[in-house]
Amino acid sequence: MSALIELDGITKILKGQQEPRTILSGVDLQVHEGHSMAIVGRSGSGKSTLLSILGLFDRPDEGRYLLAGQDITRLPERKAAKLRSSHFGFVFQRFFLLKHLTAAQNVSMALVNGQGWLPRRDRRARVLEALDRVGIAHLAKNRPARMSGGEQQRVAIARALVRNPRILLADEPTGALDTETGTAVIEALLGATTRGCALVLVTHDRDHAARMDRTLDLVDGVLTARVPS
Amino acid sequence: MRRFSGRFRSALIIGVQGIRARKLRTLLSMVSLFLGVLAVVVVQTGASVAQRALLSDIELTSGIDGTAVLDFNSTPESAAVVLDTLKKRPQATGTVALSAIIGEPGVQAINPGGSPFDQNWGPTQVCTPDGTCTVSNEPPGQAIELQLTALTSDVRQFRPFRPQSGNWLDFSTVPALAPRLVLNREAAKGFTEHRVPAEMRLRGATTNMTPQLIGVVDDGDSAPHAYVRMDELAAWLPPAGLADPAVGGYVQILMPANDPVQQVLVSKLQAINASPMITTINSKKDQESQLKMLRLIFLAMAGLVLLIGVAGILNVGLATVGERVEEFALRRAVGTPRALLAGIVLAETLLTGLLTAAAAIGVSALGLKAASMLLGSQTPFLQNVQFPWDAGVAGIIAGLAAGVLGGFIPALRAAGIPIATVMRA
Ligand SMILES: Nc1ncnc2c1ncn2[C@@H]1O[C@H](COP(=O)(O)OP(=O)(O)OP(=O)(O)O)[C@@H](O)[C@H]1O
Ligand SMILES: [Mg+2]
Repeated sequence: MSALIELDGITKILKGQQEPRTILSGVDLQVHEGHSMAIVGRSGSGKSTLLSILGLFDRPDEGRYLLAGQDITRLPERKAAKLRSSHFGFVFQRFFLLKHLTAAQNVSMALVNGQGWLPRRDRRARVLEALDRVGIAHLAKNRPARMSGGEQQRVAIARALVRNPRILLADEPTGALDTETGTAVIEALLGATTRGCALVLVTHDRDHAARMDRTLDLVDGVLTARVPS
Repeated sequence: MRRFSGRFRSALIIGVQGIRARKLRTLLSMVSLFLGVLAVVVVQTGASVAQRALLSDIELTSGIDGTAVLDFNSTPESAAVVLDTLKKRPQATGTVALSAIIGEPGVQAINPGGSPFDQNWGPTQVCTPDGTCTVSNEPPGQAIELQLTALTSDVRQFRPFRPQSGNWLDFSTVPALAPRLVLNREAAKGFTEHRVPAEMRLRGATTNMTPQLIGVVDDGDSAPHAYVRMDELAAWLPPAGLADPAVGGYVQILMPANDPVQQVLVSKLQAINASPMITTINSKKDQESQLKMLRLIFLAMAGLVLLIGVAGILNVGLATVGERVEEFALRRAVGTPRALLAGIVLAETLLTGLLTAAAAIGVSALGLKAASMLLGSQTPFLQNVQFPWDAGVAGIIAGLAAGVLGGFIPALRAAGIPIATVMRA
């Protein structure tokens, strides 16, 4: 089976005021449709940096990035924005809901992004479906201030899922939640993989990592497969 | 096209959401901009209204644009030539201005010198041709002094007097024996306020005459003035005698520019060495160049006030973008193009500018209407005055320009926010 995403020797070097520092060095990675993967590692090991390259927020300094067989390593920003909209869904540690909008409007934000246009009726149907998938359709009209952390994170997941992405990237999505709520969030994320969506989860939680199809360890910018214990 | 409309609608939705989420802030931006836009609108309105008022006054007192005015060295001989030439050419109007007194004989007029009734120009001086003048020592009485202009044809083709009441002179009928007079508003005021006998004396006329007052017009003159048909006056005063220095008549001919009658008159007058001089009225252009400088100075001041408003919008806009860093990073993460983000910020300030312009235009239009209703009766140029459309356009342009100036830098900032912000927050 050919991989949805293939990273080949990805290297990211940080050039600041100090001397250049290698954050990722020669990362090889394959992401398959419908599969889930956990990336673990110490704080500062480069997990978020890797995710931002995967999600086309940032470009690598060396290496090759293939998406569905196409080389997108040096994609111009305009096309990258289009791909982020059509292929990727993002969930972060903080939920980043806009507090002046309702849950439904927050989810709808991913549809009102200048990439194509859906009539209001279609938008509403898709928003409600996405909220239903994470089990909070009844909260559609609530504003974030009146929701629990777990509910807010599920709104964020619905926002990531509403365009039916092919890859879901989650950076410590349970970091701000208690164990029980965190588990529900992981369930919601895993739910997406049953529809063929790939999931890349960055986490510090071993239990959550264990629920993924495989776990990779990032140590000082070098990615190694972890043998399931 | 479809892509464009999708982006446009997205920008509109996000922009309106943004404004609704920050109503107070939008209001404050509008307040900071309001005075500047209002100043621009008021200056434009004032200039337009003033120009229109001045122009219509000039049309009344000296003539509409394109009127040729012929002046010449007035002697009994040249006056006779002119009046004879004009007899069969009503497309040109010869006018002779005389001083007349209507009322009791042998008294000093209520308004010596033909002054407006609420002004006093001092007692009349009587001058003899040799240049010695003496103050008249007649006792004051019930008489009105006014300027009487005799016309060879209808002068309204050049000076569009506004009818006030009664009729205007009819040049198509047989001349009446008793001269028919049309008064201006000031003269009419004098006749209603003072009871004077209908007996008219003209210097140089052999006998007194009894005029008929047939109508009132607004001729733009603040001093009392009356108009009469030349041929009706001629029965009492020979036209050639009007130009006699002792009588003091002042002859002038109004005609359309480039009319053949001009050539005829000029050559006839040159033949008797009367040195004719022609000027063509072009008030609009003259006046525009005069008012232009003034308007520019005021607009520059208004622009300065507007600039302060722009600084206000800019300040609020930068603060808002600073607060919305995470929102913009997130929007980029979900695929919103940078250009659209910049567009949204710009759209919000443009919308603010437009709303402000609408408010300023509304306030100006209402103010003008109020001024017209309250002061219209005393100030004729404020009567039925319409809000000038160019002031509205100027307001909208000012609002949009302020929106662009105030929104440009925040828009660039918004477009430059890195997406990774959402991962490091
Ligand atoms: N914009 C930046 N400026 C300076 N340093 C940066 C920047 N981005 C990343 N780094 C550095 O790169 C390294 C990797 O950062 P990264 O955020 O990828 O780590 P992480 O594995 O996600 O850590 P954590 O588990 O704490 O989130 C860190 O040492 C960080 O200081
Ligand atoms: Mg991180």
